[in-house]
Amino acid sequence: MSTETENRSAKILLLATLSGGYRGADMVGQGHMDYPPNTYILPVMSAAIFPPKFYIDAFNKGFDAITVMYSGTDSPYKGESEKTAEIINETYGKMKELNLDPRRLRLAAICTVCVRPFLEEVQRAEKLLEEIGSVPRPLTKPQAVPAQPAGTQGGIFHAN
Amino acid sequence: MPEENVNKQAQAGQNPKDEEPRIGVYVCNCGGNIGDVVKCDMVAQTLGKLPNVTVAHSNMFMCSDPGQKMIADDIKEKGINRVVIGACSIFLHEQTFRRTLERAGLNPYLYYHVGLREQVSWVHHGTPKEATEKSIRMMAAGIAKARNMKPLEPVRLPAHRHALVIGGGVAGLRSALDLARRGLQVTLVEKSHYLGGRMAQWERVFPTNEEARPLLKRLIDQVLAEPNITIHTGAQVAGAKGYVGNYTVTIRQQPRGVRGTFPNEQGVMDVCPIKQRCEFNYGLSTRKAIYRPYKECVPEGLVIDWEHCTKCGECVQVAPEGMINLEEEAHEFTVEVGAVVLATGFQPYEPFYGEMGWKEYPEVITLPQLHRLLDDEGPSDGKFYWNGHPVRNVALIHCVGSRQVEGVHRAQMDGEVNNYCSRVCCTASLSMASLIRQKAPDAKIYEIYEDIRAYGRWHEDYYTRASKNNVTFLRYYAEEIPEVRRADEKAENPLLVKVRDHLTWGEEIEIPVDLVVLSVGMMPNPVQDLMEIFKVTPGSDRFLLEVHPKLRPVETAVNGVVLAGTAQGPMNIQESCAAASAAAAKVSALIEQAKVELEPYVAHVDPDQCQGSGECVKVCPQEEAIELKTFSENGRTFQRAVVTPANCNGCGVCVSVCPNRALDVQGWRLDEYEAMVEAIAADIPAWEGAA
Amino acid sequence: MPTEHIKVDALVVGGGIAGMQTALDLGDQGYQVALVERQSSIGGKMIDLSKVFPTLDCCSCITTPKMSATAHHDNINLLTYSEIESINRNGNGFTVQVTKKPRYVREDDCTGCRSCELVCPLEVSEDEHEFGRTSHRIVYVPFSTAVPQKAVVDIDNCIFCGKCIQACPSDAIDFTQQPEPVEIETRSIVLATGFETTPIDAKKEYGAGKLRNVISGMMMERLLAPTGPYGRVLRPSDGKMPASIAYVQCAGSRDQTLGVTYCSRVCCMYAIKQAMLLSGALPLAEITIYYMDIRTFGKGYEQFYQNAKAMGVEFLKGKVARITEDADQNPIVRVELIDEFGKTRVTERQHDLVVLSVGLLPGGNPQAKFGVPVGEDGFIQVPDYNVFPAVTSQPGIFVTGTALGPMDIVDSIMMAGAAASATASYLESSNGSGKEAQSQPERSVEYA
Ligand SMILES: Cc1cc2nc3c(=O)[nH]c(=O)nc-3n(C[C@H](O)[C@H](O)[C@H](O)COP(=O)(O)OP(=O)(O)OC[C@H]3O[C@@H](n4cnc5c(N)ncnc54)[C@H](O)[C@@H]3O)c2cc1C
Ligand SMILES: Cc1cc2nc3c(=O)[nH]c(=O)nc-3n(C[C@H](O)[C@H](O)[C@H](O)COP(=O)(O)OP(=O)(O)OC[C@H]3O[C@@H](n4cnc5c(N)ncnc54)[C@H](O)[C@@H]3O)c2cc1C
Ligand code: SF4
Ligand code: SF4
Repeated sequence: MSTETENRSAKILLLATLSGGYRGADMVGQGHMDYPPNTYILPVMSAAIFPPKFYIDAFNKGFDAITVMYSGTDSPYKGESEKTAEIINETYGKMKELNLDPRRLRLAAICTVCVRPFLEEVQRAEKLLEEIGSVPRPLTKPQAVPAQPAGTQGGIFHAN
Repeated sequence: MPEENVNKQAQAGQNPKDEEPRIGVYVCNCGGNIGDVVKCDMVAQTLGKLPNVTVAHSNMFMCSDPGQKMIADDIKEKGINRVVIGACSIFLHEQTFRRTLERAGLNPYLYYHVGLREQVSWVHHGTPKEATEKSIRMMAAGIAKARNMKPLEPVRLPAHRHALVIGGGVAGLRSALDLARRGLQVTLVEKSHYLGGRMAQWERVFPTNEEARPLLKRLIDQVLAEPNITIHTGAQVAGAKGYVGNYTVTIRQQPRGVRGTFPNEQGVMDVCPIKQRCEFNYGLSTRKAIYRPYKECVPEGLVIDWEHCTKCGECVQVAPEGMINLEEEAHEFTVEVGAVVLATGFQPYEPFYGEMGWKEYPEVITLPQLHRLLDDEGPSDGKFYWNGHPVRNVALIHCVGSRQVEGVHRAQMDGEVNNYCSRVCCTASLSMASLIRQKAPDAKIYEIYEDIRAYGRWHEDYYTRASKNNVTFLRYYAEEIPEVRRADEKAENPLLVKVRDHLTWGEEIEIPVDLVVLSVGMMPNPVQDLMEIFKVTPGSDRFLLEVHPKLRPVETAVNGVVLAGTAQGPMNIQESCAAASAAAAKVSALIEQAKVELEPYVAHVDPDQCQGSGECVKVCPQEEAIELKTFSENGRTFQRAVVTPANCNGCGVCVSVCPNRALDVQGWRLDEYEAMVEAIAADIPAWEGAA
Repeated sequence: MPTEHIKVDALVVGGGIAGMQTALDLGDQGYQVALVERQSSIGGKMIDLSKVFPTLDCCSCITTPKMSATAHHDNINLLTYSEIESINRNGNGFTVQVTKKPRYVREDDCTGCRSCELVCPLEVSEDEHEFGRTSHRIVYVPFSTAVPQKAVVDIDNCIFCGKCIQACPSDAIDFTQQPEPVEIETRSIVLATGFETTPIDAKKEYGAGKLRNVISGMMMERLLAPTGPYGRVLRPSDGKMPASIAYVQCAGSRDQTLGVTYCSRVCCMYAIKQAMLLSGALPLAEITIYYMDIRTFGKGYEQFYQNAKAMGVEFLKGKVARITEDADQNPIVRVELIDEFGKTRVTERQHDLVVLSVGLLPGGNPQAKFGVPVGEDGFIQVPDYNVFPAVTSQPGIFVTGTALGPMDIVDSIMMAGAAASATASYLESSNGSGKEAQSQPERSVEYA
């Protein structure tokens, strides 16, 4: 993967649950409401499957902001919302270690008709990227972090 | 071991010969809806350059017959084994295209749908170039996923076409009847020695004013006439193994001690020296240790109360030879069932000592007792007498044990007050007020209430009738519990009820009465054992909890275990029957085909990656969906996680914590997402018009 | 005109939540079902609601999946925009004549893209879905989550300019479309014909619909819905954000003068729900609910009521005698606080907006077409209400949802299961001679 970051336009990843944000995004489309095209929506069944490493990797691979649009307490899955929140929090810790602005990652409850909240989330991410720009790649840790016991570590990517 | 089999089944869909992906890519113009913004031809052309893409087309209407035929032809003629379509919303046509694949002989899960209309062309009209580029990236992501996709099969489990109904109240009976009529075998287990539950105890039922027992009897007769239903009274569930479709349930049945009926039953009861409080009459009368629960009870015949029987043998002496067996033992047996209906019902709230005079003054009774009192077959032959005197003044106090307020009312053992409304007591009280008026035309009747909740069809008529019948209504607030105290010895009426009435600007009123009736609410029957056996949970009101009150109101979080009637919350008979019938519909849909089909989107363990860390087992929110099992191979023993697909709902919480990447939710695998993320971010082939 | 023939095990009349759920519960059991809905989309009243009590989850989030499940179900044949013309008993079953009303849009071709809507030059302001508060074009897709997502032409208002014909990318517009007869042969019928709400002008004491700032509970649902007309709560007369909102309970229920003596069962809860949503949408607004009895009887409902009280919603017991308005069109509510001993205390209060908690009236006029008796209240009467609530006196005809009397969504879904179960029992019995048809589960569509 190319390491130069200057010319690439910032990319926003939206992980949206099929029972929530993904339908919300469709609703925005039905209203023909415009938002910038550097947003990439992927449907997910349950947002709880992604470990922190997934998010860090996504930042490393080329995304500059990620919003998880889950169904919150409307989730059809028992435990999904709590676990997702927990993972996101854990990821914040890892982002800090990597000097990544935690605002790049967000968890938002978006329901099937949440047109305005959806657009607000997108705008928020766009504004943030205007302000702080793309992720400086490759990501590096500012200083060595004590290694965690193998196996239990969420697993930070290998810089170069 | 059944678990292993199940697991193998779930994986049966995995492709044995890892065939090379040959991906068919289709971009729909949607008659300009997509095509006017996104250059569909360019998208198809560009994607055609990606590895594994065998064909890439754009078309005016993919969903049209010619569009679908194009896909089917490519599958058959060009050996396409993965399909990615960019079109309108996933919610409109994903199913359509899955069926196209199926018809063409391809596993329908080898399909990925990209929403190019609602999520691209309709939201980026001003920026066609970017929209086209985005389409390419989104489709490339779909292609990346497609490369990793595996065929999936629904999880299919064999199921017993046999249901267990626990509880023989009106709800349990109604469920059993519907299930049997649908052609399923039914085992009905009733804890007590008679069928019908609480309904048998009511003098009459609102809103139809029918006599309760004949109405119940008609239902019971229909149940008895069903050859598919096997009934066990005096029986309870002692344990269960298995999961949806395949439960082995152990039932423990208490002996009745008496076989069948015989002519001098009364004589037999008369000689029994043990007297007990009669539960059926809520303690308003007594019965012997050998007794008949109530006159027309089913099964008919006497039963022995083992707890109090001293085995003195008096009854055996007078009964016909062999009819009574005091040495009969409890026995256990098992049934194999595919699903379980919990219809364990409710019990009336039991006030604590001194609560509005309860137990403190004999002139304070509950609404269920009033039903018995006014019943022609009850302890006073239906006369409205108390203590040998006609009752002239009666106060019915509503919401006793319901709508309680923290800090005002005394909490139950678990520290919680009953903050819910019991739903039936208002109309039940009003209906009794009507009956009292019939029996005692001159009696003064007071209904002391918070709100009159005569909500159902024809309920309001009872309210209007009560008003016409000169029933006096007094309204209190939950915070100011009415007080019941003893009147002066010389007073005409033994009790005084003090209430701050908010219909008269909060005036404090004291009414002298002969009898106070507490309209007690409902509490669930204690079923802690069943909750543990079947892994179902109660709500904060202690009633059994449904998965979703609207979407799935009779199902529990455990697949194959459903709720019927007041075990779930207060309901009247009509509502209990509707719920019971709905529960039967769910069970029928589940096991009627003798197999259970579940979505393939469940967790799957890669045995080569799993190190048996057990992290998954710790976080799994479902019961018995994943567990560690010990295996041994070449003398080495080790642990591996094993999924029971029947119990897994695919939430994927385990996926995120597995340190070895051994877990995935089928159909939504992490490596697919990684590939998609990579594909979106990657450099895409140059396309015309990109510059 | 060729008549389409459909042969099914059960015909469900009405595609509200009760009808959809019945169809799903029957379809899931392997029965072939036809669902006939007279509106252009299924969903019934429920799809118009904002959020639903007592969970306060978004209504569309619950309804939309049910709608698509119904539409995509292998065993359900969906006929929208269709009227039942006649029903004839035919042996143990029925032959039902249905007319598919012309949409003037070919259903098979329309992709729901709304290109036609964009070019249509005319608007009419009687979108049923928005309750007269917004407008739609002459050719339009009923609403954004409609199922099916197909346009329909309001032919009475159409000027035939032909713009839509040019705009439609799939040539779906067809002004020559005729009503299409469909014959359904079915072994059983489930009536899920639903309810109507008390008309806003029913009560002259409440302004007979002439007071601009007196609206119905249903209109408030639309104002509160994320898909509603303004996206926020504004009062009709001047578009001002109301600072004081009053609810008048039992407006059209428990009212002898209107001949509606029953309780409508859902209005207490929906008023409380709306009050809670309003306190979120308009945090500064004062909300008063004038009531006779608060009937929050269902599971979790009492707790819901107590929460609303704790949030500061004012509950005032008293019968609203009259509503008038002042010069600024602010409604003035005259309440009689009820006194058992004949005294009344009357107060008058001014509010910015008054919501009438209108009641539920029987809908769909089922007795006329289906020959099922109705009770004094106009809802379908069944012989054994307590134990067999879904079974009507007509063999093979069943009833569910609010066609049986006012009920909320939870109870409608329960009743749907009950109706499905009762129907299945009937189909399997000798009357329904079930076994035979089970051996030919395929739906046969033939053209005569
Ligand atoms: C005072 C009063 C008056 C009422 N009047 C009316 C009326 O007029 N009209 C009306 O519509 N409704 C009325 N109701 C409500 C009505 O009684 C209930 O709706 C109905 O009885 C509920 O039936 P059920 O089957 O859910 O529960 P139940 O009647 O409680 O039956 C549950 C059955 O399950 C059995 N059981 C419990 N635990 C187990 C176990 N572990 N294993 C096996 N079996 C078990 C019990 O023994 C019982 O037989 C009244 C209620 C009260 C309290
Ligand atoms: C203002 C308001 C707010 C509410 N809020 C809530 C809430 O928050 N939570 C809740 O649980 N409940 C709520 N309810 C109640 C809820 O709307 C009903 O319980 C539910 O919609 C009933 O559904 P149904 O299917 O019985 O009837 P309907 O939704 O009326 O469906 C009947 C369908 O049948 C069709 N139909 C009728 N006759 C025919 C015919 N002859 N041929 C073909 N089709 C026909 C109709 O077009 C309609 O689509 C509310 C009600 C109102 C009025
Ligand atoms: S039904 Fe009436 S008496 Fe019973 S708890 Fe509810 S309000 Fe109280
Ligand atoms: S539910 Fe409440 S507002 Fe509606 S009619 Fe009944 S008591 Fe009146």
